[in-house]
Amino acid sequence: MQNSKVYILGGYQTDFARNWHTENKHISAMMREAYLGSLISTEVEPGDIDAAFVGNFAGELFCMQGHLGAFFINFDTCFAGLPTSRIEGACASGSLAALSAMAYIKAGFYDLVCVIGVEQMKTLSPDKGGDFLGAAAWYEKEANGIEFPFPKLFGKLGDEYDKRYGLDDKYLARISEINYRNAKNNPNAQTRDWFMSFEHANTIGAYNIIVSGRIKIADCSQVTDGAVALYLASEKFTNEYANRKRLSINDMPQILGWGHTTAPIEFAQKLTDSEKGKYVLPFTRKAITDAFQRAGVGDCWELDCIETHDCFTTTEYMAIDHFGLTNPGESWQAIEEGIIELGGRLPMNPSGGLIGCGHPVGATGTRQLLDAYKQVTSTAGSYQVAGAEKVATLNIGGTATTNVCFIVGT
Amino acid sequence: MDNRIRTVVVLGSSGTIGSLVGGLVAQNSIKVYFLSRTLEGAKTGLRRAMTQARSEVISRYIECGDYDHLLESALQDADLIIESISENLEAKKAMYNQVERYRKPDTIIGTTTSSLSLSALADGRSPDFKSHFLATHFYNPPGRMRACEVACTEATDPVSYDIIKDFLKNELRREVVAVNNVPGFAGNRIAFVLFNQITSLVEEYGAEQIDYLIGPYTGRLMPPLRTIDLVGLDIHKAIVHNLREASHDHMYEELALPGYVDKMINAGFLGDKTKGGFYKVLESGKQVFIDALTCNYIPAIAPHVAFVEKAKRLIHLGLYREAFEGVKTANGREGEIVKDIFCKYIAYSYSLIGKVTKCEYGIAGIDKVMTTGFHWAAPSVIVNVLGGKEAVIDLLYARGFEIPDGIGREDTITEQTLRSMKYFIAR
Repeated sequence: MQNSKVYILGGYQTDFARNWHTENKHISAMMREAYLGSLISTEVEPGDIDAAFVGNFAGELFCMQGHLGAFFINFDTCFAGLPTSRIEGACASGSLAALSAMAYIKAGFYDLVCVIGVEQMKTLSPDKGGDFLGAAAWYEKEANGIEFPFPKLFGKLGDEYDKRYGLDDKYLARISEINYRNAKNNPNAQTRDWFMSFEHANTIGAYNIIVSGRIKIADCSQVTDGAVALYLASEKFTNEYANRKRLSINDMPQILGWGHTTAPIEFAQKLTDSEKGKYVLPFTRKAITDAFQRAGVGDCWELDCIETHDCFTTTEYMAIDHFGLTNPGESWQAIEEGIIELGGRLPMNPSGGLIGCGHPVGATGTRQLLDAYKQVTSTAGSYQVAGAEKVATLNIGGTATTNVCFIVGT
Repeated sequence: MDNRIRTVVVLGSSGTIGSLVGGLVAQNSIKVYFLSRTLEGAKTGLRRAMTQARSEVISRYIECGDYDHLLESALQDADLIIESISENLEAKKAMYNQVERYRKPDTIIGTTTSSLSLSALADGRSPDFKSHFLATHFYNPPGRMRACEVACTEATDPVSYDIIKDFLKNELRREVVAVNNVPGFAGNRIAFVLFNQITSLVEEYGAEQIDYLIGPYTGRLMPPLRTIDLVGLDIHKAIVHNLREASHDHMYEELALPGYVDKMINAGFLGDKTKGGFYKVLESGKQVFIDALTCNYIPAIAPHVAFVEKAKRLIHLGLYREAFEGVKTANGREGEIVKDIFCKYIAYSYSLIGKVTKCEYGIAGIDKVMTTGFHWAAPSVIVNVLGGKEAVIDLLYARGFEIPDGIGREDTITEQTLRSMKYFIAR
């Protein structure tokens, strides 16, 4: 069963620029739209769906709604009696939901599974929301009483790079600028109409204040409302589906490899543990190399692009060397040489990533997978990486506590 | 010829549209002169542009000045001149004398007017000026409203149109809609005809009740009378008046301004800028509404109509067609008002295909202006949520509306339709 293939049939992303709280809509309305949109885009027959998984971090905190798997039956009577579950792993919830679906398909239990990642975050003031996000860290030790715990923690990631290898913040500003620039090509990106430039990102000012440590506003991902629905399927189902759509199964994207690791939850412990190693976050590195190994990918240069977690610019700076684009501590080189830009040797976040496209926490992993699907099927439109055949995603929860990497390709 | 726009001049940069459009130019690292009657006026515009961008760094691309000191050299430097001075024909013509005198050949001139006649504005100008002159009608605030209508005169060189279209689309990220050179173009014409019809209901039903019935749940970010307060009743009156003067058909009667609007204007109730229009917030924080009969403010009544509340509950859950099924079958005068406004919006919008936009666009051009210029659900989307073509034709027929051509297969729900559901607000 372990060698059985799992395919992605496509899906739908809501417009991440929307504010569903202003629209006064329930979180289930967002899920409903993602589900309906995914039926339209994939032409999957609802009656063929065997099960559903929801990736969501904190529905209870942001909108007083848990038990999200129970809403499918409200969208479609075909879900009556079907198994549905909600999976939680902080910002990696969406990827964990996909992993769960994948495991059931590989085990032969289900042939077609709907996966929805969703988060509604604009219901709260920034400080209250920031406090709740602290639950993704060790709250009592790392977040309690701290205004914005995560900018502080990921600022420390930058500090650690600075300590070990040296870090010029202009490279963080460049990461921000590239993500915003890419987002302008993405019709679903939250910041597609926002202004950003390297000069702005690299300058402290009234509109780019320091949030915590070395993290300025331009270094942060967004508070986002969003949902993404996608379908994972067995080889048997994909064969039938491809025949029905007059496609070749050889052109259907599949999950070629995956890596899933969990590190100690406390950030300081992560850094202490990695002091003598090559990588600042070795469990993140392991998730990536596990995925490479399962997919038969020798190194990052066999990929055509990467959708990486960039909750802060420091996170993407870390991802660059952890994916192996440079030696550890030399991520700046890939930035300086334009390698991660669209048109570069290995573009990162053609979608705009979490900084540009947005970061509805529980939906991010599914959004990355859907974007990987779009890239390898040449359906990413204006943010298409020409000729992309193999794409990696990296989704992390907490301070790189839960790490999930997928390799998607045909 | 190198068609790249490297330098832009904004005339009237102290105003909201001038400064914010100029700010969009600067956001693209393109040099832009902010010109106004006074240097302080231009600097006011600069501050507004920085607030829009949420960045001070755009000021590096902006040079502020007054007409006396900077106009000549700026115009000589410009590839594009955006004229956004006050909506006054004589003032604009006087400014064009200066533009004519100093501009380089091939410099494009775009006016942001939507109410003055392009032909009258271009009258008396040189052939080169005329061939480079067109309307670039932005919506306010341009940082959030992405529509830009572009209208040409018979003398406008198609190359000028192509250059400006590419610039607006690719640099300023506008949703460019080519419109015919007609009063109000597409967006203002449709919206202000609707606004005027809605204001005519206020005397009988009250401002609060009307904005409640035709509120955000009907596919608009803001209720209509609240929008007029934001625009200003004086501006509203001027636009309606201009549209009426240019009408030679039944619209002349439909565009008669209700008498109480003049009374409100005379009393100084112009909307937000005078801290009171249809709505007013008292010092106590309490909201009151205008009584159109007496021009006094009266307490809020907090209307509650069963079909409206039900529609909002269903929209809250993302059940849009179900919500409007209830509206379609609503009995009573309240239901009739909502259905009449929907029908007017649909019938009038579709009847303008080919008149305000090119026939080959179908409803798409008008859809684009109404969504990105007003944040209203597009006419085709209203057709969709009301159940599609047949259902809407039945609705129009039953209410005595002429059935316009061009209502297509809007009954299919597409990914684009789903994206448009953001305009239906459950409030």
